[in-house]
Amino acid sequence: MSIKGAIAVTRFGMGARAGEIVDVSSDPKGWLLSQLAEPDRAQIRGNDLLTTKQAVEETIAHFQRRRELQRQATSSERQQQLQMHNRKQREAFIADVSARNVHAVNTPDGFLERWVRFWSNHFTVSARKPELLRIVGPYERDAIRAHAFGSFETLLTNAVLHPAMLVYLDNQKSFGPNTPIAQRRKLGLNENLAREILELHTIGVDGGYTQQDVVEFARALTGWTVGSPRLRSRKIGETVFEERLHEPGDRTVLGVRYREAGAVQALAILKELARHPSTAEHLATKLARHFIADDPSDADILSLKRAYQDSDGDLTEVARSLINLDRSWEREARKFKTPEELLISSARLLGLPSVYGRGARRIYQSLGQAPFTAPGPDGWPDEAAAWAGPDAIKKRLEWANRTARLAAPASMPIAFVTDALGPLASERTRMAVNQAESRRQGLTLALMSPEFQRR
Amino acid sequence: MNPINRSLSLSRRTVLTSLGAMGLTFLAPTRAFSQTASKAKLVIVILRGAMDGLAAVPKLDDPHLRQHRTSLVPNDTRPLRDGFALHPNLETVHGLFQSGDAAIVHALAGPWRDRSHFRAQDLLESGTDRTVTKDGWLNRALQVAPSSLSAVSIGPAQPLILRGQAPAASWSPPMLPEADDDTIGRLMDLYAEDDLLGPALAEAIQVDAVAGDAAKGLRGNQFVAPMGAAGRLIATEGGPNIAVVSLGGWDTHANQNGVLGNRLRQLDQGIAKLKEELGDHWRHTAIAVVTEFGRTVRQNGGQGTDHGTGGVAFVMGGAVKGGRMIGDWPGLAPNRLYENRDLYPANDMRGLFASLLHSQFGLTNRETARSVFPGSSGVRMIVTT
Repeated sequence: MSIKGAIAVTRFGMGARAGEIVDVSSDPKGWLLSQLAEPDRAQIRGNDLLTTKQAVEETIAHFQRRRELQRQATSSERQQQLQMHNRKQREAFIADVSARNVHAVNTPDGFLERWVRFWSNHFTVSARKPELLRIVGPYERDAIRAHAFGSFETLLTNAVLHPAMLVYLDNQKSFGPNTPIAQRRKLGLNENLAREILELHTIGVDGGYTQQDVVEFARALTGWTVGSPRLRSRKIGETVFEERLHEPGDRTVLGVRYREAGAVQALAILKELARHPSTAEHLATKLARHFIADDPSDADILSLKRAYQDSDGDLTEVARSLINLDRSWEREARKFKTPEELLISSARLLGLPSVYGRGARRIYQSLGQAPFTAPGPDGWPDEAAAWAGPDAIKKRLEWANRTARLAAPASMPIAFVTDALGPLASERTRMAVNQAESRRQGLTLALMSPEFQRR
Repeated sequence: MNPINRSLSLSRRTVLTSLGAMGLTFLAPTRAFSQTASKAKLVIVILRGAMDGLAAVPKLDDPHLRQHRTSLVPNDTRPLRDGFALHPNLETVHGLFQSGDAAIVHALAGPWRDRSHFRAQDLLESGTDRTVTKDGWLNRALQVAPSSLSAVSIGPAQPLILRGQAPAASWSPPMLPEADDDTIGRLMDLYAEDDLLGPALAEAIQVDAVAGDAAKGLRGNQFVAPMGAAGRLIATEGGPNIAVVSLGGWDTHANQNGVLGNRLRQLDQGIAKLKEELGDHWRHTAIAVVTEFGRTVRQNGGQGTDHGTGGVAFVMGGAVKGGRMIGDWPGLAPNRLYENRDLYPANDMRGLFASLLHSQFGLTNRETARSVFPGSSGVRMIVTT
């Protein structure tokens, strides 16, 4: 077992499965690069998983039925029906999260999975908005997994114009103020999507935009919406461009003038944003923070920024450059695992069920990171300070204690340490686990050890 | 040798004492819940997502209000003073206002102007005007306060406002069975050289030892439970002087009336619960309910409002001289709006915080301007106590 093998599996991947560190140790970089050659393996497949279009259609139908039920008189029957419909929504969501968890726990391509999840968090869509419960899963599959290894411009366009994002950031409620329909029905602009694309997805809060840029961009984005019966769209459940909702006219964003061109106007702005040097800087900083340290060095950020710019935003090239950075391979693990990373990495070794059932939901909530429910569009934090507070550590200990009770009969704690960490395990941790008074206590300590809590 | 082996039946409090006696150094700086002389209490409630101040506290006699907002002015409001009124769902707040235990500061904002939630919340917690710092202003206040103070945040994650060199606790009720004391002792041993996890675990156990079972089993909606926990922890013997609670869900870009009405009702119930749990401590308490910025004065196309500037704060508690609207009111005439869209930020939030730190804990305004809110020396105090 080599240190670099253990780093490849734990820091770049989702954590070791039994024997994985041994398998990877002869050629850790090769293992990572070979994953990038087969990006299709990041896809989650399953017969029962809905496409985006199906999920949006069913969501529209769900809210339609709910409205009809609300109008019906008999209250007990209505209540029963409402509960059934709500349960169907939740079950679809649970199926999506379960498929995602099972994939992350079983995949031999841990780096692809971590890369996907980084971008999924970068382009956060949260099911805290109830109408998105059924759509967040298809969103990640169709917009993120399918495009996280190509050009950033393609990923950006697919993510921000996906029905889930259009709903999440209210673009389906944004109307060109000078369109006849807005004038007649007193509708107007909603800046939310435009602002978050600038601030979160592309050039960043210090990227140099003004309120005027936000408004101009929001005007350009009007018309991009989700096809629905109410709009009498030609396509239901898909992203559509409705010319009659689009604010007519030329737009100026970040000093560049864009001619009125209907749907293409916003696409042209997105293209420029993807190329903007501030975007390269912003993405490089977030990637370095995710893979190297909470406060990455300027040199590391610069390397990734150059890789981005030299390849015109090719994300596979950026991933390669990350793999080739010396600092990515330093022995000290500087990244404190998020709750989700902790749970996935322990499940990869312990073989506990990873279906998102009632018990699992309780654990994710207790640790503060239930899947697809980030508090806001900036996603989950990626710094230890946000996850390693006193109460959070106590909650992790409660989790480890419970997990060890379930898993201890079938596992040897010291074997867990070896399989999970290989040469990264400290003598102190090995000793503590060896001297534990029971398997359960040993496994609790192994799960809580400083090395397993980090990557 | 593992010194903790023998302690199978120790209570958590004894584990702490025995570890302390063994001289485990990471325990030494912990004073989050130590006894302090000061009776004064401060609760900061951060409404994350930007509460719409003009719907919560509308200025009903301003002729422009209904021109800007054709459908977002609440009905059945509760009258305050000077033409202001409260949203009907803020029943408790209204009662406190009338009994002189609540004051309202309108047209309030921090020094930031870029209308980003995350940036504005970070700056609100940093206490800076442009650059987000790694530590929060309330933590810096702990460091320079004339007497030793203790602080806790409610929730599993430590918010930026309390992060920093001074020890500060965070607490939320356990959701799973807890580990036994022997395991905890061994884990503390394992963390002895870990600068991140060691102090965090030690802190958590100390808080638990003080909180004990006191705050378990709190029921209620997502606002009532954390507000109740804050009150109960403060009222516990040896409890903290300062508590921080965050309440989310205020970003009402669309269909604002329903969503905001629910949130305000929950907030109001949370305040009632906090007061109930504080008991006699209410007399010495000041509660500041703040939000990162206000929302646009004009409603948008979706029956909602967008990110704005001037917002509103509620200041409550027995330590507050209430029944007053405090601060300047800029008006709603189009030419008085900030950038022709937002309520003008006539009052600086740092002046409110600095004044509370002074009245509750004796920090001088000079000290506050130097180390708590750097660059705020020209800011006018907003005195509510």
